[in-house]
Amino acid sequence: MTEMFSTLFGQNEAQGPPGSSSLGFGPGKPPPPVPQNQASMAGQMPPQLGDEGPALRKPGAMNEPFYLLRELPVGNELTGNTNLITHYNLEHAYNKFCGKKVKEKLSNFLPELPGMIDCPGTQDGSSLRSLIDKPPVCGNSFNPLTGALLTGFRLHTGPLPEQYRLMHIQPPKKKSKHKHKHHRLQDPLPQETPSDTDPKKKKKKRDDDPDRKKKKKDKKKKKNRHSPDHPGLAGSQPNSNSLR
Amino acid sequence: MAEKFDNLEEHLEKFIENIRQLGIIVSDFQPSSQTGLNQKLNFMISGLQDIEKCRQQLHEINVPLEVFEYIDQGRNPQLYTKECLERALARNEQVKGKIDTMTKFKSLLISELGKVFPEEMVKYKAIHGEDAPS
Repeated sequence: MTEMFSTLFGQNEAQGPPGSSSLGFGPGKPPPPVPQNQASMAGQMPPQLGDEGPALRKPGAMNEPFYLLRELPVGNELTGNTNLITHYNLEHAYNKFCGKKVKEKLSNFLPELPGMIDCPGTQDGSSLRSLIDKPPVCGNSFNPLTGALLTGFRLHTGPLPEQYRLMHIQPPKKKSKHKHKHHRLQDPLPQETPSDTDPKKKKKKRDDDPDRKKKKKDKKKKKNRHSPDHPGLAGSQPNSNSLR
Repeated sequence: MAEKFDNLEEHLEKFIENIRQLGIIVSDFQPSSQTGLNQKLNFMISGLQDIEKCRQQLHEINVPLEVFEYIDQGRNPQLYTKECLERALARNEQVKGKIDTMTKFKSLLISELGKVFPEEMVKYKAIHGEDAPS
């Protein structure tokens, strides 16, 4: 930068060190007269230094005693001085997320999603990251399964092995009783009998249904696992997430 | 915009419920459940078709990748929004502090220069008077 000044303003060694006197800052010292070659060179400066910021003002008597006086940058209306949350009308969102305590677990965000969703996705290969890294094969259309294809889905009778059995269990819901009752009425089992209004039939269904019994047992087990008194709380979760 | 999400949400909920019921049927399979199982499998395929149709309406939606990390860790994705807002506010305050400090420095510098170089500062203010920043 100093080399540029010296070449542009052609300082001689006999004049002594450039210092403040040549720039006109010394009190009581008149500024040196601007030679014509320096004025023309200063006029050429804007295109050379155009990429270094605002353009220089035109030199001349109007800018004396200042040299290299730049234009002030155009002020931006939106700066960090403004509260950007208010500017973009995000106050409601801010109060909603930062005012109240947001619960940590994913099951609090998706309470109705079945399965053990609070576990990390890397454990059972169900992570979204793996979906991005290895995207599935797309492009084929979805066609319903015909009779021949459905023969591949003929299953053996009987219960599943223990390790796969917990797949359908939902996390404990903290909803009100009324909603819980409403959910119960939407029976998960396929409705073979059309009428569900008969209370005797309802009772029979509840009593005879082995799945409900198993569900209740598993719910009890889960409640016990989540209680603080249970000794094996941390490591006792079965490895059943692979089926999710 | 919200309707597109509602539509997708509805299809996803139905799909998940269908899968859950499929799991219940399979957990203790009986021969009489075969018809129901086949029906559920075809519901699953039609559910996928419905979700595929929703995809076309939502191709402009961008989701930040950091949210996926929260979900993969089993954490609430609203925490990501919360942390974004908090970081934005903290950065806003930091920049505001810098602007305030620079403004004070400018006014202090001008006043001190005015004391040391009064004539030059009068000329400077005359030149920059039109476009002097507030």
